[in-house]
Amino acid sequence: MVQERFDPVSLEIMWSRMLNVAEEMWSTILRTAVSTIIASANDFGCEVLDAEGRSIAHAYRSMPVFNMTMPNVTKEILKKYPVESMHPGDVYMTNDPWMCAGHLPDIAIVSPVIHQGRFVGFVGNIANTSDIGGSLDAKAVTDSYEEGIFFPLCKLYDKGEPNELAFDMFKWNVRGPEMVLTDIEAQVAANQVGARRIVDFLDEYMLEDLTELSEAIRGRSETAMRRAIAELPDGEYTNEVYTDGMGDPLLIKVRIEIKGDEIAVDFDGSAPQIDRGGLNCTMIYSQGHTYYPLACLLTPDVPVNEGCFEPISVTAPEGSIINCTFPVSVGSRTNTGWYIHGCIFGALAKAIPEQIQSGNGLMSSIRTYGSEADGRVFNAHLFCGGGRGATSRSDGMGLNMFPSSASNVPVEVFEVSSPALIVGKELMPDSAGGGKYRGAPGQRVTVGKLPSYDNPLNVYFHPNRLSFAPQGIFGGKAGTKTNVIVNGEMISDDPASMTSGYVSLRDTDDRLILEFPSGAGAGDPAERDSEMLERDVRNGLVTGED
Amino acid sequence: MTVPTHSLSIDIGGTFTDFTLHDVETGDLSVHKVLTDPEDPASALIRGVREILADTGTAPESLRLVVHSTTLATNAIIERKGAKTALLTTRGFRDVLELGREQIYDMHDLHARYPDPIVPRHLRAEVPERVDRDGRVLQELDLETSAQVLDELVEQGVEAVAVSLLHSYNNPVNEQALKEQIEKRHPDLSLSLSSEVAPVINEYERTSTTTADGYIKPSVTSYIRGVERDLAAEGYDGRLLVMHSAGGVMDADASCERPIRMLESGPAAGALAAGFYSDLLGEPDLISLDMGGTTAKTCVIEDGRPSQTNTIEVARVHRFKIGSGLPIVIPVLDLIEIGSGGGSIAWLDGLGLLRVGPQSSGASPGPACYGLGGTEPTVTDANLVLGYLNPDYFLGGRMNLDTGAARTAMSRLGSEMSMNEVEAAWGVYSVVTESMAAAARIHIIGRNKDPRRYAIVAFGGAGPAHACEVARILGATRVVVPLGAGVTSALGCLAAPLSFESVRSAPGLLERTDWDEVNRTFEEMESWGREMLANSGVSADDVQMTRTGDMRLVGQIHEINVPVPGETLSGDDIERIESDFHSIYQQLYARRNLSLPIEVQNWRLLVSGPQPDLSLREQKVTGGGSANRDAVKGSRQAYFPSASGYVDCPVYDRYRLQAGAEFPGPAIIEEAEATTIVRPGESVSVDRWLNLVITLED
Repeated sequence: MVQERFDPVSLEIMWSRMLNVAEEMWSTILRTAVSTIIASANDFGCEVLDAEGRSIAHAYRSMPVFNMTMPNVTKEILKKYPVESMHPGDVYMTNDPWMCAGHLPDIAIVSPVIHQGRFVGFVGNIANTSDIGGSLDAKAVTDSYEEGIFFPLCKLYDKGEPNELAFDMFKWNVRGPEMVLTDIEAQVAANQVGARRIVDFLDEYMLEDLTELSEAIRGRSETAMRRAIAELPDGEYTNEVYTDGMGDPLLIKVRIEIKGDEIAVDFDGSAPQIDRGGLNCTMIYSQGHTYYPLACLLTPDVPVNEGCFEPISVTAPEGSIINCTFPVSVGSRTNTGWYIHGCIFGALAKAIPEQIQSGNGLMSSIRTYGSEADGRVFNAHLFCGGGRGATSRSDGMGLNMFPSSASNVPVEVFEVSSPALIVGKELMPDSAGGGKYRGAPGQRVTVGKLPSYDNPLNVYFHPNRLSFAPQGIFGGKAGTKTNVIVNGEMISDDPASMTSGYVSLRDTDDRLILEFPSGAGAGDPAERDSEMLERDVRNGLVTGED
Repeated sequence: MTVPTHSLSIDIGGTFTDFTLHDVETGDLSVHKVLTDPEDPASALIRGVREILADTGTAPESLRLVVHSTTLATNAIIERKGAKTALLTTRGFRDVLELGREQIYDMHDLHARYPDPIVPRHLRAEVPERVDRDGRVLQELDLETSAQVLDELVEQGVEAVAVSLLHSYNNPVNEQALKEQIEKRHPDLSLSLSSEVAPVINEYERTSTTTADGYIKPSVTSYIRGVERDLAAEGYDGRLLVMHSAGGVMDADASCERPIRMLESGPAAGALAAGFYSDLLGEPDLISLDMGGTTAKTCVIEDGRPSQTNTIEVARVHRFKIGSGLPIVIPVLDLIEIGSGGGSIAWLDGLGLLRVGPQSSGASPGPACYGLGGTEPTVTDANLVLGYLNPDYFLGGRMNLDTGAARTAMSRLGSEMSMNEVEAAWGVYSVVTESMAAAARIHIIGRNKDPRRYAIVAFGGAGPAHACEVARILGATRVVVPLGAGVTSALGCLAAPLSFESVRSAPGLLERTDWDEVNRTFEEMESWGREMLANSGVSADDVQMTRTGDMRLVGQIHEINVPVPGETLSGDDIERIESDFHSIYQQLYARRNLSLPIEVQNWRLLVSGPQPDLSLREQKVTGGGSANRDAVKGSRQAYFPSASGYVDCPVYDRYRLQAGAEFPGPAIIEEAEATTIVRPGESVSVDRWLNLVITLED
């Protein structure tokens, strides 16, 4: 570790300042964005980075994976644009899935911070835009070209002057361009706020740049991570899990080598990339989803920054679902990438049992798109959480969007934003994976359309866990799978037959029921505390009927 | 007959119950403090009332007004000591309260928990009914089923019922039908209706607010009625007014009817006190810093008023983290509360970094220096080691502090950081002031303001000892410490006008507003408000009505509160409202956005009575130097890094400082309930209301 210039007190204070800058950026986006997916579901993240493009602070409700992919974007910016050419008012943009966050709707907006005429670092954010063009049916796509418009790394603003071509490309290629462009303005505004705060900070502390502070923050974090790794028994830990794929399961295989204070994670043996359905993960995205669960297990109290990941290497064979090559489709990469956490937790269950979480029922998104009776376009997302898995010390946390930091969209907001009628959104009794500690229950969401809406309502979805329920640990029971029921008929029994990613609700009585998965249990169900069991029975979460 | 000449305020906090007695004719102010009795807060209250009246020779008959703020409502929720409450929801939505917003508030803690819902699942029941997004009734309430559901809940011993049906903010007809049925069938049940408590979109937040209201209603009602009876028994025959969360007061009936509006009434009183000082000092923009035993509150005063917001989160279960508590949608003063107070414990985290709070040693065992069995290093211990507190004059000498115990605690903390006890104590002091400054900054900057423009008014038992350092970090150049800083919150109660804000949700595009409907809505709210104020003795001429609308660009979730003309509205008013919206928007977000239409979310009406008559006695200003010579009561060693360590620092008796006095820092100024620390390079003057005005170097 480098010799530090800051004592623990000043470092804590300055570190808090950096985190506050990211927080402020976050609330700027929250307050000014307009789509349900960004403004209501919070699908975005904000970051402060040093002059080498290394992350030093992020807003705490940021998407974990965004925080880890952002430094990759800033390092590419540094390769393409010389530091001397950077000016206040410059804004860089890309949605390159191989550089940024793994699929086209995630747009990175990055601004250089110029202090006393000198470039000192970046502020940046990534947000999941409400539309990026391409096919609405995410299951049907066969390559990246069908998934929408691809912006290579470019300048969205040059010294404050807008790049007209980029704005026109949005205007003519995405659905609801006003919504998309207003959200991008929110992202740009967040960076303006962030850059200004960092300059003020440097002035106040009479620092020339962020270099030493960045070293101190990353150094502390790296030390904490190394210390945590060193406490684990050396050895090789392996695991494999299956994802739904497009009907044929796809294998994710992991080998984790712990040696001293370093970890090497390798995904050799995982399934080859596939030619449709957007299920492929880019390498940078997979790395993000590998770092995140390791940070949860090893350094839960450290505000994440690049230092945490110095001791960790992640590799995967090129051309696999973990490290896919352009131009395969990647739009629904969460249906693969979100299984990495369970795979890693399972592998490390022997090394670090007290921290491990059992299988999570994963979140899914429902989207409606079309025109209201008066011609206005609607484009709304309803995020629905899965049940969290139990740990060796507590029941699953509840239902949420793990491993994403998103929130749901209130039913009332979703209904106001589209002519859908949510007929029910409720916990499912007897769904929670049993155990000494149980998983959180799953939820059933019943979708219809408004009687007053005469057109068919298309509901787009691409759920997780159609074939594989989340698995318990230490004797805990599995959670439940996703069920898709259309007008009383279960259509998810054979996932291979679910080739399309939407359902048309034509009549007022038509019903789409989505039963989202519960979390798995931890420990032997026979050891469950009798009071906790009684409480579940009293609350109707365990009925004893089966 | 005695002419009523005095106003009394009572603020119940976690540790102390504070009293201020104001003589309206002379402007004289007397203060008093007694220990809070958590088991029976009303008994300590009445004892304190007797004591302050006796001490000042004031007859109960000469009280014209009693105003009360209390943490009772907040604590009932935090400690889960409310009534057995049931929740009725639309069929299919029984679990709204448990699903919440499905967001993780700590992304890396795999063992984090959500708060338990206030109403457990077995007391949540569904009724068949449905209203759509436009307020159309898709299904009428099935009264037969609801009767059965209600009877079953009553059989289970339910005392209170909360009702929250989908889209009831837009059309409450089915909630009203349920209300009628409940009042007829189970007249003893306490009832809270979401369309009355919080008629706003977002089913989770609305339901959470409504159930919290139902949960505290029986206990708040019996408490308030009890205090009324006790005051009457003492000989007071006037009204009891209760501070509400938005910084006004309501009468006792309104507080029993809508108890959730009493949340955070203590902090609101503090913020209002800051507003009062803003007027008094002619300083329209201020930051208040109210630091007590377990928490610190800061609030931004703009144009003489604390700003207001529409949501707070209470009872956070996880280290004060946002998202780990229960959202409550009520008009509430926009203040930030963080877990840093005099009793907050210092500790080292997994990275070896120094942290302070939010764990607090409380009143028992208390900081190490209390000598009551506490050994953990706290903020108060740090202040004692630094020489900022007088071990023999804590609470005016009613309590002695053990400096040795404080040193031991600090030295142990320091050894973990390779620091000595003094460095550790300064570290604790720095971290706690920085976290207050950080919270204040986020809060100020969130309002697009520059913290350097603000003066800080500091109060609460621990505020005046930290305010100058917080000011330095924020870049503020002036700190004001009111006389009686330890009980300033209670004074805020006396600065509050009678007021109540009503809200009605009416989502839709501004350009498509049905203005006849809006006019009807405002008329209803206005006649209700007039009646409420008339009942509290406000004459019709003194009633003020302020209309606003919560508006945003289509799709945004954060609304802007925009003024709405007071007369009969029509389409002709759209242009004016739009232009107001855009100029406020630009102020907040530094840019106009004309590409999207404006949508209305809620209409609001604030009814208020006249500003109460609260003026402090002005002192004659005497010459500078001579006014403070007598006030120096000694000196002690105090630590200031800017002076490279401990320096001999004069100690002033606050009660002997006269108006016009001026002296330089370093200085320690002691009064019974608070100690003010002035650093080298700063200077103090005493104004004509005996406030300390401290000027920092620019």
